[in-house]
Amino acid sequence: MNSLIKNLFTLDDPDSFGVKAYLRLFELFTATYTIIYAWKWGSYIPRISDVVLPLGLAHYIDVSIFFGDVMPWVLASILTLVTLAAFLFRKYSWLYLPAFFLLQLLYAIRFSLGEIPHSSNLVGFSLLGLGLGFAFFDKNRQALHFAYGFVIFFAGLGYTTAAFCKLIGTGFHWVDGAHLWLWIAEKSTDVLSAEGSYNLNLLQMIALDKRIYATLILLTGIVTEFFAFLIWWKKARPFVTLALIGMHIGIYLAMNIFFLPYMIEFVIIGFPLYILFDKLNKKFNLEHRLSVSY
Amino acid sequence: MAKYTKYKRILLSVLAINALLVSTHEGEFWPFSIFPMFSQGGHPWTRGVVQELDTITPDVWDVKPLEEVRPGVISLDAHGIDQIDYANFMSKTKVWDQKRLRALAGMLQASKNISGGKYWLLTRVEGFLTEEDSVVVNAIPMFLVSADTLIKNPNIFNPQKDEFTH
Repeated sequence: MNSLIKNLFTLDDPDSFGVKAYLRLFELFTATYTIIYAWKWGSYIPRISDVVLPLGLAHYIDVSIFFGDVMPWVLASILTLVTLAAFLFRKYSWLYLPAFFLLQLLYAIRFSLGEIPHSSNLVGFSLLGLGLGFAFFDKNRQALHFAYGFVIFFAGLGYTTAAFCKLIGTGFHWVDGAHLWLWIAEKSTDVLSAEGSYNLNLLQMIALDKRIYATLILLTGIVTEFFAFLIWWKKARPFVTLALIGMHIGIYLAMNIFFLPYMIEFVIIGFPLYILFDKLNKKFNLEHRLSVSY
Repeated sequence: MAKYTKYKRILLSVLAINALLVSTHEGEFWPFSIFPMFSQGGHPWTRGVVQELDTITPDVWDVKPLEEVRPGVISLDAHGIDQIDYANFMSKTKVWDQKRLRALAGMLQASKNISGGKYWLLTRVEGFLTEEDSVVVNAIPMFLVSADTLIKNPNIFNPQKDEFTH
């Protein structure tokens, strides 16, 4: 257990410029996407006037009181200010925790029409990790390492859980290529509805050509998901990350579902970029030009 | 290893909260989730498309293969409408009461988006695998919407209550 904790939270990483810049980059990504979601979701809410399917907090709060033209903008503005304060002033970094609950509320309001998207979950875990880190740890370094390990843990858990869901929901024959054919038809309908037209791409044509090809694509996907928990270990992390990014590119090509925030965040958290930052620092003496602290 | 105690305690506490929330909320309590997407292979699905019509023909309410209606399907993105929200209205609504229909028309911004004299045919799309494992996709007309009126498909809904002004 201790070995896992050590691998997750990377507490043995050097106290270097590169590590500081790396963890701050992770924090910047989280704060930026929090603000993007605040305004993206907030600007859509005025169109909603009925709850089709309550999600999360909407089971306990009547989210319809936040419908209309004013409340979504108020919530998005507060969330933006709180997030900026947490990012810019270490004294107020604990505000990531209320920022998380505000974003959770905005999610419940925005997605009350039946859609259950998962593209923002990793940002949600990152924000919660930062909130818990700065609320429970006195040192900024520990707080940032905690947030980083927290999101790595839930990323690995999420994918492996998804693989188990498939095995429980369908069984080992989940990999049957005919299932991919049906999903390609479903996602093509979504593209047709969104864009007014659609054309099959090369991977879809290959999958539809022979059942065995479609089966192999599904098999690759579920094996990748199943072993995603290996991302918890530092040495395996870059390889698991590459496999997950490859899987997401495959999902995009086969089913037109693209998780841009996941891809960006995996590039940040999945590779030891601090080594690169330290090398750049050594070469260009960045430490004296940029003021970077935990 | 005492220095890791706090990390462990917080992580395990959140993990326990995660388990509690997803087990009591059908697997979803953002950002906690069991990530169940695509877990049920081969299950039939329901989505939605919108067709734009210049005139109403006698076969307007007929069920057709999606390929047949495909040329008339419009882009919801072009009208600033979230396609997934629309698909969920079509697939998850069990009772189409006046409130739900007004919410649908409001989400589509029908009075703004549908130009005079034209109609939008709101269509459910259902896909399933046959016993021979071939994919069938059918388009089922549900509502005909103009800039100010919504008409329900009389073959599906009670014809006595088939129209209202939104």
